[in-house]
Amino acid sequence: MMTWRRPSRRAARSEGPWAWLAAGSVATSLALLALLLGLLAVRGLGHFWPAEVSLVALDDGRQLAGWAVKESPLPGGDGRERLYRTGNRDLDGAIWDWVDLDEIREVSHPSDLVVLERRRWSEFIGRLEAVETESGERISGESAWPALERRLTALEQHRASIERLRHQVIRPLVLRLEAGEASELERERLSAAQEQVREQQAALPKDILILETVDGRQLRQPLTEVTDALQPNAMGVGEKVVAWSQGVWRFLSEGPRAANTAGGVWPAIFGTVLMVVLMSIFVTPFGVLAAVYLNEVAHQGRLTHWVRIGVRNLAGVPSIVYGVFGLGVFVYGIGGHLDDWFFSSSLPSPTFGTGGLLWASLTLALLTLPVVIVATEEGLARIPESQREGALALGATRFEMLTRIVLPMAMPAMLTGVILAVARAAGEVAPLMLVGVAKLAPQVPVDGEFPFLHLDRKFMHLGYHIFDAAFHGGDVQAAMPLIYATALLLVLVILVLNLTAIFLRHHLRSRHGTLSK
Amino acid sequence: MLSAIRQRLRVALLVVGFVCATPTLAEEPVGTLGTVGSDTMAGLMLRWGEQLARQHPGMRLQLQASGSASAPPALTAGTTLVGPMSRPMTEVELSAFERHYGYPPQALVVARDALVVVVHRHNPLRSLDRPELDAIFSDGRRCGADDSMDRWSALIEGDIQGHIMPHGRNAVSGTHELFRREALCNGAFRPDVSEHPGSAAVVAAVASDPRAIGYAGLNHLTPGVHSVALRDDDGNVHRPEPSAVRSGDYPFTRDLRLYVNLPPDNALPEVERAFLDLVLSPEGQAIVEELGFVALPQAVLERQRRDLGLEPLGS
Amino acid sequence: MQHTPSPPPVRRHFRQTRDRLATALITAGGIGVIAAVMAIGVFLAVEVVPLFWSSSDAPRINLETLWLPQAYEGHEVPVHRWQPAMPEGGGEPRFGMLPLVWGTLEAAIWALVIAVPLALGAAAHSALFMSRRLRARLKPTLELMEAMPGVVIGFVAGLVLAPWLDDHLALGLTLLVMLPSGLLLAGGLWARLGARWRRPLPMGWAALWLLPWLLVCWFLSSWLSPVLEAWWFGGDLRAWLEVSLGLDYANRNAIIVGMAMGFAVMPSIYALAEDALSGVPKSLVEGAEALGATRWQSLWKVVLPAAGPGVLSAVMIGAGRAVGETMIVLMASGNTALMTASPLDGLRSMAASIAIELPEAVPGGTHYRLLLLAALLLFVFTFCVNTLAEVVRSRLRRRYRRMEGLG
Repeated sequence: MMTWRRPSRRAARSEGPWAWLAAGSVATSLALLALLLGLLAVRGLGHFWPAEVSLVALDDGRQLAGWAVKESPLPGGDGRERLYRTGNRDLDGAIWDWVDLDEIREVSHPSDLVVLERRRWSEFIGRLEAVETESGERISGESAWPALERRLTALEQHRASIERLRHQVIRPLVLRLEAGEASELERERLSAAQEQVREQQAALPKDILILETVDGRQLRQPLTEVTDALQPNAMGVGEKVVAWSQGVWRFLSEGPRAANTAGGVWPAIFGTVLMVVLMSIFVTPFGVLAAVYLNEVAHQGRLTHWVRIGVRNLAGVPSIVYGVFGLGVFVYGIGGHLDDWFFSSSLPSPTFGTGGLLWASLTLALLTLPVVIVATEEGLARIPESQREGALALGATRFEMLTRIVLPMAMPAMLTGVILAVARAAGEVAPLMLVGVAKLAPQVPVDGEFPFLHLDRKFMHLGYHIFDAAFHGGDVQAAMPLIYATALLLVLVILVLNLTAIFLRHHLRSRHGTLSK
Repeated sequence: MLSAIRQRLRVALLVVGFVCATPTLAEEPVGTLGTVGSDTMAGLMLRWGEQLARQHPGMRLQLQASGSASAPPALTAGTTLVGPMSRPMTEVELSAFERHYGYPPQALVVARDALVVVVHRHNPLRSLDRPELDAIFSDGRRCGADDSMDRWSALIEGDIQGHIMPHGRNAVSGTHELFRREALCNGAFRPDVSEHPGSAAVVAAVASDPRAIGYAGLNHLTPGVHSVALRDDDGNVHRPEPSAVRSGDYPFTRDLRLYVNLPPDNALPEVERAFLDLVLSPEGQAIVEELGFVALPQAVLERQRRDLGLEPLGS
Repeated sequence: MQHTPSPPPVRRHFRQTRDRLATALITAGGIGVIAAVMAIGVFLAVEVVPLFWSSSDAPRINLETLWLPQAYEGHEVPVHRWQPAMPEGGGEPRFGMLPLVWGTLEAAIWALVIAVPLALGAAAHSALFMSRRLRARLKPTLELMEAMPGVVIGFVAGLVLAPWLDDHLALGLTLLVMLPSGLLLAGGLWARLGARWRRPLPMGWAALWLLPWLLVCWFLSSWLSPVLEAWWFGGDLRAWLEVSLGLDYANRNAIIVGMAMGFAVMPSIYALAEDALSGVPKSLVEGAEALGATRWQSLWKVVLPAAGPGVLSAVMIGAGRAVGETMIVLMASGNTALMTASPLDGLRSMAASIAIELPEAVPGGTHYRLLLLAALLLFVFTFCVNTLAEVVRSRLRRRYRRMEGLG
């Protein structure tokens, strides 16, 4: 008779319940990370996809058209209600509508529903009845939509040329006029250009769109106020992909509009990149200097050991404390003195005595200095003594040994340190709230005015923009999709930077592994 | 020789052209308008600036919106001639200006804003009086309440039960000041009032919790919440409608002002004149409405235009 | 035989001078940079001193008014209040800092309550059971998790998680119970599986193939939770909490902050704990297994005691990070300066108060100096905790070297 093997008992003895909880911890952490990234990706990128507009018919005969955004249970537990974004703020007074699910009779997606993005008010959702041209001609029916598209394209070109004139001709001339340096010829050119802009503005097509909402109200919409027109329910997948990529591009290249509920984040991207570049310029020489001193020059005794520990621990100090230091010493201290000495004519409006690009970059440089010092030191420590001794034996001075042998070999480690510093700085918001970020600074700190780089100006920052749009904006629900998109962008930037640093470190280890043999 | 004549002709034409161009140059304002002041009015100022640039292609608005408190020092120092403020200047600020220039700054009311108490859209609460607001929001009850009010059962009947969750702004905000002054008689807030950095955040928080109550600026309301009317001591109910705000009937109203450095001979520079002309015009007031504030009545517009020396409307 | 002539004396002198100059500059620069970084503590201490040594015109600030409850105007009993910004005519500002310290500690403790089991469990599994390949991939993934900016986590916690949990409180509670039980069930089922099933689902890859199982547990919980809520809590968990336990559920509360900060802090604790656990000399573990211990038993009885200090230092570093995190608390806590023990109430941390109030505080005033005092406390706490952790870790490294020498 075969004894019945009991694998269960042996297995249960070998693992035990705690092992499964431990395995589950890893799985839970991975799941949470995936959930977070998935949430940002879906809601962030999904915002640019032209969603289908629903036409909702209610029991009481009312009709509304819009996008379903979220659902919420009704108090009292019976039933749920759904939030629709219906646009048409000029007609309805608001762009949202809460609808009890029980009252919905029918939801359909007619293909003739039109969405118009507008300069003022919110978007319009409804139907296009006709296009009235300047000459009085009325285009209605089937040919209205193609006519609208044609005219809108022509309008875009006109607008682009007006903008070009404004930016490239008028603006520089105005600046020279204000500075008192304009010659007679330039004044003439300015007034001629202004005339030209006036003419072009007058020549913009004065078409009127006859629109009708789904519940029968009419609206006469001037074409000049419209920036985009879509029929989302009639678009094929290819067209939607094109619209999606255009949306993403506009998000990355335009500035914010309508109190952060529309438009893009270009000034925030530019501000973040500029600040990070400035910060790297400050942190690299000082970090490398300190690391070289600690590792190469200083006597390796107890004091150096404690200093090293101290520097490492400073990497763990909360970033808000660095912000406080930046505010107290840089802004109020050094900045106040700079104002007194050089800019006293514009006091009491502070120039450098308030937050700005310079102080923010310096504060973050201080914050990330320990990171760079530690990474550079690691790189320097990895270089075998034989290299240094060999150089010295060949008659090099210590300085020459450092600059010709040691530092070039430590270059990848320095680079890793700077990349880690940049990754950390791109995500830190708390110190910037104290030393330099503006709520709304659509003028970027680099422009055509001398001195081209305005270190005293406030700037926008991606991380702060998330905080600002989520809490300071006009309508949080309307801004949510853009906040997701901005968060996704920030996370992607930081992930790419970290991956680069990890890859570099990996590459370093394999390279120097052979070197020390 | 012919070329020399042509050359002189060209110069002559140039001179004539310049002489003819100069009068048009004098009419067309060109330059940068720099303003320093309130961040509540930042959106409004930017929209006005955009519209101004569209009308006068050579003009540009630069705004530094760090708070109402930054406007008086900038006006006094001459850094700016126009300063937006969401609260009136204090005595100290006014006297500092007057000491410097010898005349007071001109206060122009450009829009009206109201502070509105909001509750969740399904909350049946319709009106509150000052003692009740005091009981809900304050710590120390200086404004007439006997006891603090903690539960919804004291105010309404129905599905919404439980603890009242108050929401408000953080202490650096002008809205917070206004509410404290008007509704709490300068008392202190309870420590469990959630603090939010912006009115939109307050409205979003109230819209997501049926037990919440909060206060926010009128221009931030959404259909997720509804406003609560105020009952005064005589029992009259004041709803926060634009008409009540415009007439001053609704108690928690505040004026949004532009303080202008206007010398007694009304001689404002071109740029500032053009800007104020736009602000106090139907176009400018339409922008006010669009941003959710309340536009001024026609009479007030006309009067202020006269005070500035601008042409009356309709001419 | 020719030898290269030595460089002329002038050139040699120049090189030596350059070397000396460069060394002097590097020394000066290095010391300067290090001093600048250390200057933070000095600056804060210098600014805070006038608070206590101060003049008569500032409002009374001493250790009593800061830390003990005071009988403010309008209150019959002494209370703790942090209300530093009072307008004219509104009474004296109230500078009770204890609610801020309490809030900071409360947030950190809840963060650790959530992060430590996750991180230690993950470290134990990863050091002992996980396959090599998966572990090499997992470490960078969790490092990326560490790089997530606080503002994004705070945004998701405050604007997405908080409303969701408010609506689905029963589901949250059910998940809390179902997930561990589900994992134990998975373990029991796996143990009873035949060898044929166990080969494609090895313990070394459990972290991955448990993911679909977690999904199943989620669906089960969402199906079960309305039933449980109706059965045990009379249909409304939130009302039941208020009525039976007297606890009010605030939309943004300590639990939300704890979950968000736990997520943010967990990767740091994991990395350091995993380093400590896997640094234990192999000879110890092999010896235990040779004597018949299961892998978990060897973890518990041999590895943990040896790596104990390293694990402790990992937790300490996590605590330091949790105390200093600003954006998450700012966005997810409601910023209410309360001193209650209930995790369902809001809180206000020192870092968040600094971020909100410092830009508007008058430089040199009492409010400003008090906020700098809060910054100093944060600095001292994190610096001490990190130094202690570093000392513990270097002792651990020495201990490992000794053990390896013996083994």
